[in-house]
Order: sequence, then C-alpha cells, then structure tokens
Amino acid sequence: METRCPKRPTRRQFLSSVAFTVLAGSAAPVLARSISGSLPWEVRSADPPVQVRPGGWLFFTPEEVTTMEAVVDRLVPADELSIGGKEAGCVVYLDRQLAGFYGVSSRLYTSGPFLPGLPTQGYQKPETPAERYRAGLAGIDAWTRDNKGGKRFSELSPDEQDAVLKDLEAGKISISEQLDAKSFFNLMLSNTMEGFFADPIYGGNKDMASWKMLGFPGARYDYRDHVTKHNQPYPLPPVSIAGSTEWITR
Amino acid sequence: MKKIAFSLTLATTVLSAGLALSQAPDDASKIIRGHYQAILADCAACHTAPGGKPLSGGLPLETPFGQLIPPNITPDKATGIGNWTEEDFHRALKTGIGHDGKRLYPAMPYPAYTKMKDEDISSLWSYLRTVEPVFNPVDANQLPFPFNIRLSMLGWNMINFEGGAFKPDPSKSPEWNRGAYIVQGPGHCGTCHSPKTFLGADKVDEALQGASLQGWYAPNITGNSYIGIGSWSEDEIVQYLKSGANGHTIASGPMAEAIQASTSLMTDADAKAIATYLKSTEGGPTGKPQPVSASDPHMTAGAAIYHDTCSACHGGAGKGARQLFPALAGSSIVQQPSAETLVRLVLNGSQGVHTPEAKTQPSMPSLGWRLSDQQVADVLTYIRNSWGNAAPAVQVSDIASRR
Repeated sequence: METRCPKRPTRRQFLSSVAFTVLAGSAAPVLARSISGSLPWEVRSADPPVQVRPGGWLFFTPEEVTTMEAVVDRLVPADELSIGGKEAGCVVYLDRQLAGFYGVSSRLYTSGPFLPGLPTQGYQKPETPAERYRAGLAGIDAWTRDNKGGKRFSELSPDEQDAVLKDLEAGKISISEQLDAKSFFNLMLSNTMEGFFADPIYGGNKDMASWKMLGFPGARYDYRDHVTKHNQPYPLPPVSIAGSTEWITR
Repeated sequence: MKKIAFSLTLATTVLSAGLALSQAPDDASKIIRGHYQAILADCAACHTAPGGKPLSGGLPLETPFGQLIPPNITPDKATGIGNWTEEDFHRALKTGIGHDGKRLYPAMPYPAYTKMKDEDISSLWSYLRTVEPVFNPVDANQLPFPFNIRLSMLGWNMINFEGGAFKPDPSKSPEWNRGAYIVQGPGHCGTCHSPKTFLGADKVDEALQGASLQGWYAPNITGNSYIGIGSWSEDEIVQYLKSGANGHTIASGPMAEAIQASTSLMTDADAKAIATYLKSTEGGPTGKPQPVSASDPHMTAGAAIYHDTCSACHGGAGKGARQLFPALAGSSIVQQPSAETLVRLVLNGSQGVHTPEAKTQPSMPSLGWRLSDQQVADVLTYIRNSWGNAAPAVQVSDIASRR
C-alpha cells in the first residue's frame, strides 16, 4: 500500500510555488531606505548601577549572618593591612547577590543531565548558590555542635574556626549529604574575595579598603598623563563607580 | 486601443511642454537661490519640528514673556501662508507686519531680517512657494495677557525696532561686508548671542556679547580673546561653522542645531566671510577676573571630581584631544559669565553634530546620575578656574533647576 505524507507537496505544487515566489520577488519594488547617518543618542541617557546599602538582610537568616560573618572574618582577618571581611561588608555583598539573580542561577543553564565534569568546567550540580549556602551554613553549625562541644561555628575561637575551615577546604569533614564540603568552601572563598575586592557599590569593599591596600586606582580608564612617568607611584586615590569621599566639599 | 495610447502620449507631451514653458529658466535658479537664503536664515530651526514636515510649524519657543509656537509657513492656504502675496512676505520680514496687518512678535527675527536685500527676500519667497503645502494648524500666540495683544508690538517697534536694509561699510573689504550682512541680517546671530533689554530687544551696543536663552548660554562671539572667539583663527571658525567641531570646542544645544541645518550648508566663502567679520568685532571684558583660589574647598573637591570623572577624556590638564574631546583649558566657552550651558552638558550629556564634513559624532555621557548638585557646581567651579581659566564660581542653587 502506498502511503503518502499529506503535507508533502507534489512536484507540480513545488515548481509552481517556486515560480510564483520568483515572480513575486522580482515584481516587488526594492524600497530604498534613507539613513540620516546620525548616531542614535538620547539626552540624559544612562544606565546607572544600583548602589547596595547596608541595613537589613534580604537572604540570610540572623543565624546564617552570624556564621557567615565569622567565616569572612577568618578568610579576610582584620590586620595591619586592612579591615576584616565583616567590616568590609562581604556578608552584605553576599546577601544581595544570593537574593538576586546569582542566588537562583537565573543566568545559567541548570537543567539536566547532571554529570560529573572536569574541575575546569566549574560547578555541575543542580543546586543553586542560594540552596548551597542554606544547606552549607546549617551543615557547618550542625557539625561544630556535634564535634565541638555543642558550640556554633561563631562561638569557636579563631584558631578553632581556622581548623574547621581548613578541614572543609581539604574535604576532611562532611557537612551535608548533597553538599561537597570542599566545593562549598571554595564557593565561600571566592564570594568573599568578590565582596572584598569588587566595587563598593555592590555592598562590600567598604571605603575601597582593599583597593587602598593594593594601590589599585579603581574605576578609571585613562592613564595618558601617567604612562611616561616610569618608576613613580600613581598619585591619585582609588575611585568607585559611585564616586569617592574626596568629592565631598570639606 | 492604439489610438487611445497615442492620444495619451500626445496629451502628456503637450502638458509637460506647457509646464516647462510656464517656468522661465531663471525661475529655477531663483528658487535655488531662495533655498540658499532659507539655509542662511535657518528658517527650519524654528519652523520645522523635529521629525515634522519641513516648515510646517515648530516646537514651542520659551520666551521670557511666555510661549510662542513658530507657525506653519508652507504654502497651505488654510493653515500656512498660501494666501500671502509676495508683498505680504516682504513686509513681514522688513517690518514685522504680516498678512492682514497682523503684527508678528520679534521672536520672529524681523529686526534682523529687515537688513536683508530685497532680491534675497524675493528669492526666499520663490523658494517657499515650492515647499510642500502641509495642513497643520498652529496657534502661534500662547502668550499671557497683556503680551498676547499683538497690537502691543506697535509700541515695541517704536521703541526697539529700526528698519532698513544693511548698509555696507565702504572702508571694509567686500568679504567683511558679506560677513556683516549675514551675521546681522539673514543669519540673525544676535537673536541668540546678543544680550537683551528688559523688553526682549537686542542691546545694540552689546551685540554678540553673549546671552541666556531657553536654559542655554549663547556665548560671546565677538573677537574678544578672553571670552569671545578672538583666540580662534579664521580657519578654525570656518571649521566650526562647517563641521560643528574644531580644536577648541564642539557645538551643543541650539548651536548644534543651527550648524546642522544652516552653517554647515553655507558656502565656504560665506563661512569665511562670517569669520572675518566676527574676528573684527569687539565687546565684553578684556581682563580676566581673579580666579577662585585652588585651596578653596570647592576647588579641592572639584579637582578630585574632575580627575576621577572628566580627565579620562578632557585630560588631566584640561587640554582635551583635538576635535574629539573639547579642550577646557583656555576655552572661552568654559569661562562665560553664566555656566548654564556647562551645567546642561554635565547633567544631560551632549552629542556632536552630524555634518557632511564631520560624520563622527563624539558624545559626552550624562553625569547627572553620578554627581550631586554640589558636586556638579564644584567640578564646574574647578574647570572655570584652573589652568589659567578664570570665571565666577558656580553655585549649588544653579544646578537643581536644571535637573
């Protein structure tokens, strides 16, 4: 029995449609468009960043804040070089990131299949950063309660905290069934560094503390006046996208 | 069938021959000369709205006395000037009295157009008759009482208006006289650039010395080397008029529009004549005031803002980069008595004009989101008083109303 797809055109239909298309195409006038040459531009157009301001928590619970503040103060301890991670606003930075699109991985492909990848391929599991922090911080406190005499992570001495973090980093302790301790440590470390070194408009790097520490000039993009001045320190203080305290009339 | 085709062809031939006959050969060249007059006089600046049909009525003009809307001057009989005669038009340009004796407001620069030659007005009229008639009713007179009484312009004219054609100065070169004619007559430069009396008339003895209008400051364009264009060479003036940019500055605001629609389309000879004339004019302060001290707190804050925000383009020493980023050091535009234009540029940004000679349009970003009122004032005070510049400090109260 001959079966035919009903939608498939016959040879005749196909040829006549081609002929018609060619005819119609050649008959249609080619419309010239006049282009002024002027570039599009609007008065007062700007896409200003939203300045993160400390105060209140959008993602973390109070318990999570206490634990996270203890973690960032060990990753970036206050010393003669700079203020600590807590004072610099690393947790504020992280809270706003986790409450935003980063927290829910809205810009990443997060559907399966989930296969183990190479380290260079980055995180390959379905949990979002928000889910990882929720589970991870609870896991750390649960682990210290079980193993450090009922104390929470924040209640341990700095040396004890360092030891726990080192064990996490080495993958020596398990804080959750789904969560790999090592990768959670690395997540906290890289997010803390982001908060500490990113522009202050994102909530961390208070008063450009890390930039002052490094001598990084900040959001500048032209050094024509300085490229020929070899072996001389760059004279200008750092500047944030939002400005600098030097801008205030004293 | 063939017969019909033949008669159609015949009819078409006869018709086109008739059309050709009705247009004498020198009519065409008169229309072309008239079109050039419309460029010199920049009719479109006021009478064409952005995106609107040419000359069918413009955007409202904010005058100190209220709002006026430039009317439709296409040959449409109902809403344009289709019912006007050439005599009506001549009288309107020469005396400010329009069709049916209706008095025009001097926002229509008849005090300048009165200097135009009769033949130029006649050419302009010929051209205006060829513009596409557009039905677009415009209620020009939006002024409040008592200014809305057009007859009041009778008194205004008696006090302020002096008619009569341009009188050449035989002691000057033909080029100078051509420049003076364009500047004072069709080009009506003084309409923006000359200070006004309280009645809104040009202060004749302070011609071209700079004036504020519609929230912009039209700078001093006399040959004054501190505050005018005395430090520009004639070639640089020509370059500015033709392209909107030269090594000193880039046009913005209403001047950018005037360059786009008018001066960039002028002949090189006319642009050169304007330069020759303007360089010869005098006016305004010759000595600089004492600059604001560099240790003033507003200056130190302004310096920090400048180096963090402006210096990437304008350079640490305000030298800019030729034709791409205007120089601020030594700029007469920066040192005008009023900083209105500068405030606008910082808050709103600006884009260079697109002209046949300069197609790249360097633009300045809007910084209104980044700087507070005080910071805008401080950075402007800094650029107006650094690198040899000297001009009054900008007050924070000057900024808020411009946001």
